[in-house]
Amino acid sequence: MSLRRNVFSYAVIIPFTIVLAFPFFWMFVTSLKSETQVFDPTKTWNFHPSLHAYGYLFHHTKYVTWIENSCFVGLLVVLITLAVALPAGYALARLSGRVGRTLGIAIFLTYLVPPTLLFLPLSRVVAQYLHLSDRLWALVVVYPSFTIPFAIWLLMGFFKTIPQELEDAALVDGCSRFGSLVRIVLPISLPGILTVVIFTFSLVLNEFVYAITFISSSANRTVAVGVYTDLIRGDLYDWPGIMAAILIPSIPLALIYNAFLNRFITGFTGGAFR
Amino acid sequence: MSEDRKLSRRDLLKKGAAGAAAFGAAGATAPFSFAGPLKYKGRYLSGNLSLITWVHFVPAYDQWLDPWAKAWGEKNDVQVTIEHINNTLLDQRAAAEVAAQQGHDLFFNLHPMAAYEDQVINHKPIIQEVSKKLGPYMDIAVKSTYNPKTKKYFAVSDSYVPDPVVWRKDFWNGVGEAPYTWDHVRKAAPKLKAIGHPIGIGQSSNDLDSNMALSAFLMCFGSFLQHDNNRPWLDTKKTVAAVKFMTEIYKTGEDPAIFSWNPASNNQDLLAGHASLILNAISATRTPEDTNLPFSDQLMIWPIPIGPNGRLGLEHLMGCWSIWKFAQNKQNAQQFMVDLLLAGKTATIQSKLYNFPTFEKAFPFPGIRKMAAQDTHKPHGKYTVLTTIAQKYTHNIGYPGTVNAAVDEVLTTSLIPQMFAQVSQGKLSAEDSVRQTRAQVNSIFAKWKARGKI
Amino acid sequence: MATAVAARGSRRHRLRYVAERRGVLATLLVSPAVIFITALVGVPLGLAVYLAFTDSQAGSLGGKWVGLGNFRRILNDSVFRGALWHTAEMTLITQAIVVVCAGLLAHALVHTFRGRWLFRFLILLPWAAPLSLTVVGFLWFFDPQASIWNWFLVKAHVVGPFNKPSWLGTPNLAMASIVTVQAWRTIPFATVIFLAGISSIPQEVDDASAIDGATGLKKFWYVSLPLQLPIALVAILFGIIFTATDMIVPYVLTQGGPFNSTQMITTWSYIQGINAGNLGEGAAIAMFLIPVLAFVSVAMLVFARRAEVT
Repeated sequence: MSLRRNVFSYAVIIPFTIVLAFPFFWMFVTSLKSETQVFDPTKTWNFHPSLHAYGYLFHHTKYVTWIENSCFVGLLVVLITLAVALPAGYALARLSGRVGRTLGIAIFLTYLVPPTLLFLPLSRVVAQYLHLSDRLWALVVVYPSFTIPFAIWLLMGFFKTIPQELEDAALVDGCSRFGSLVRIVLPISLPGILTVVIFTFSLVLNEFVYAITFISSSANRTVAVGVYTDLIRGDLYDWPGIMAAILIPSIPLALIYNAFLNRFITGFTGGAFR
Repeated sequence: MSEDRKLSRRDLLKKGAAGAAAFGAAGATAPFSFAGPLKYKGRYLSGNLSLITWVHFVPAYDQWLDPWAKAWGEKNDVQVTIEHINNTLLDQRAAAEVAAQQGHDLFFNLHPMAAYEDQVINHKPIIQEVSKKLGPYMDIAVKSTYNPKTKKYFAVSDSYVPDPVVWRKDFWNGVGEAPYTWDHVRKAAPKLKAIGHPIGIGQSSNDLDSNMALSAFLMCFGSFLQHDNNRPWLDTKKTVAAVKFMTEIYKTGEDPAIFSWNPASNNQDLLAGHASLILNAISATRTPEDTNLPFSDQLMIWPIPIGPNGRLGLEHLMGCWSIWKFAQNKQNAQQFMVDLLLAGKTATIQSKLYNFPTFEKAFPFPGIRKMAAQDTHKPHGKYTVLTTIAQKYTHNIGYPGTVNAAVDEVLTTSLIPQMFAQVSQGKLSAEDSVRQTRAQVNSIFAKWKARGKI
Repeated sequence: MATAVAARGSRRHRLRYVAERRGVLATLLVSPAVIFITALVGVPLGLAVYLAFTDSQAGSLGGKWVGLGNFRRILNDSVFRGALWHTAEMTLITQAIVVVCAGLLAHALVHTFRGRWLFRFLILLPWAAPLSLTVVGFLWFFDPQASIWNWFLVKAHVVGPFNKPSWLGTPNLAMASIVTVQAWRTIPFATVIFLAGISSIPQEVDDASAIDGATGLKKFWYVSLPLQLPIALVAILFGIIFTATDMIVPYVLTQGGPFNSTQMITTWSYIQGINAGNLGEGAAIAMFLIPVLAFVSVAMLVFARRAEVT
């Protein structure tokens, strides 16, 4: 039985893994070539590999700065999102009846508004009312607008799986409602919080439209934008450099996500009674 | 390379206050700062200046521009910041800056931003100031940046780029042809495709190259976007003939990839040793030279082939700078533009003859020709044809009229490439496609006429 | 003295009582989110809605009121109608692929086996990598000259070396390429959510169904699937939203070409609004997304609630 299960697993997983991961493998191969070699059909697979592209990225562009900027924005947005979405998610899951459900759906519906619609009016808000033109703080302020609705929904789901009895028990023991939130619910929902962290960070890194609109100078760019503006020199795509630039953040991120995957899954199942 | 770009990390807005004060002081004396010219430069100018421009296709130009701007700033007591972004993102940034009513002082674009006429100052003083030293502003530049209806210069052009055909001598001679006329191209197309080296004229939306190439092609067949009084035209019979001609070239001699090309694609096609002919500026020849590709000596530069209406070409790009009305440092911006235009000769040389100056006296054609003749790349003297192209065969988009917001919108919505692509792909007949495009063009012109811009 | 203490105590007690009241605490907890979203989504959205009813041009954010003029013009435009269709086509096909693949993958990944960690890492990569970068990577993957996919096809003698398919330049192939990339980047996300759904089925259910003799396919259809439905629906819903509101993939790969055969609402709104400068029209186009997605979301959520088995 378990052999059949294993065979099934391998038979499904191996083809999928090849399909999903092959583009990255090809990116890696391309990143080892020199710019003029990438079009040479005779050198598709046999060529002299070199780390020239990586060296160029680190020494001749502001790539490291861009990664720092992305991390900076990512971390702050995660903190803001947690700070705002945790209480909101809890409140909507627990304390409000029908009003809560409607409010929840309303908050979620704002998620459907595409950034291509909002970025022009927002540029006015950011420049004139917030005076944050060309500063990373503009992104830190704007990004939670699409991470918070998503986070609230995730957390609502998590909090719903935590049984009311736990909190009621705490209340009987003399805790205030707020205290029960902090002392009982938060620790159990740690996997849910981790999930929100991962999803939020991923959403921040993927974002392009706002980043290109609000940030001007090369030193303040995030990774997504910097690669686009500095490595694509109009006529010429620096393919090896671009491939290298994609791989460098992706691998650590995938490793981290992988590490937290188990926690995430147990979180979804509501860890209290397992 | 990027170190030179990092001229200032300081927040624009923090300096904005100081800049505004300086501007206020300078503005009070504005009428005089041009009257009593350059020897008073140091006294009146101080503060900030921010520019945004493209990543030049010839990297050597940026390597010259950034230090030059910095030196200018030091000489004039101005903190200069230059931002370079990918040219495809310029339109979006312009829109965002206008929406925010805040942004860079000097905004560069590869096409004159006629649609933003109301958002920019009148650039006439700059042109007048430079004309005193360098003579008249060239006709092609005037027609690209002047609106005869509102009598306003909505941009100032510092450069234009002649648009030759770049072709592979070895391939073409191998099939016994040369792209002298469009008929020659049509005859050679199937032979070239058969040897695996098709023609590379794009028919893609959102590709500036496709837009310019096909618009120039139309002109060679007698089809013009507008009359000289800026009324829409597109003669039906001639346009249909042109579309059918290009469709035949596509069907017999091109790859379907051309429908999804971006501005870099035709260059890449040539660089990969695939395409046998493209319509592109000389960045297509400079890159193979710089990277020592084996066939760089086989690349020929010729003017656009002759059509039934003769030989008419367009500029490949028109480098235009605009100063927003809401810019914080208009004074500095104007002075910078004046000095940049005065340095036209150096700019042309530093761009390896990619940019041509818009004031002819800055670097007269004979001078450019002599310099081109000294270019050591083989075949010798191949770059001298650029001056012929620039003098005789380069017109502004919208010729014989001027560039206006309607022409600009036709360009940015890629109506011309779409007109061709629909027929090449067999989706519409040439007559239907031309008729549809004419209707679209007419409605765009009507819209801008209603706004009083034409 | 005693009354003062009592008074103070009762005041504190009253405050506490107020904070204990469900309504007040709930409002307090939700208000930061509401304020944030109102300020950064609501206000610009209102402005954008206003734009859709004006003829504003070229980023100026002001213009003459034209009522439903923009909407009328859009609905008459064949490109827009095509964009509506393409968006639906791309979204539905992508989700169909994602659901099947993610479902299979999730079931395969539930049980531990050797090397599972490595496989999970490789499967997570498409989702971990920043989207705007991987899309450029796919530009290279589908490059007319150097596409490695074409290289494989030629080597496998599926196509000849002189008629390599142009993945981004032929209408149906371009749509296929976009769908491929969207599915590729969404499958890891959906797999993870499905995995969570599977793991949430309590052991008792497994045991009960084993006792009742439901195994394999029967168990899947009658037991596992209904229990996973709520979470699966959530994954599908988010997948739909991510795909339909995404502009980056179609814009970078094809810019809506070849000649509008892959134009989506998001890209067309951008091209009209920014490149052509017709801000009012661009806003009107983008607004079509919202009611459609809202309807789909509410429908799925209602369905999910009904299907919830707790």
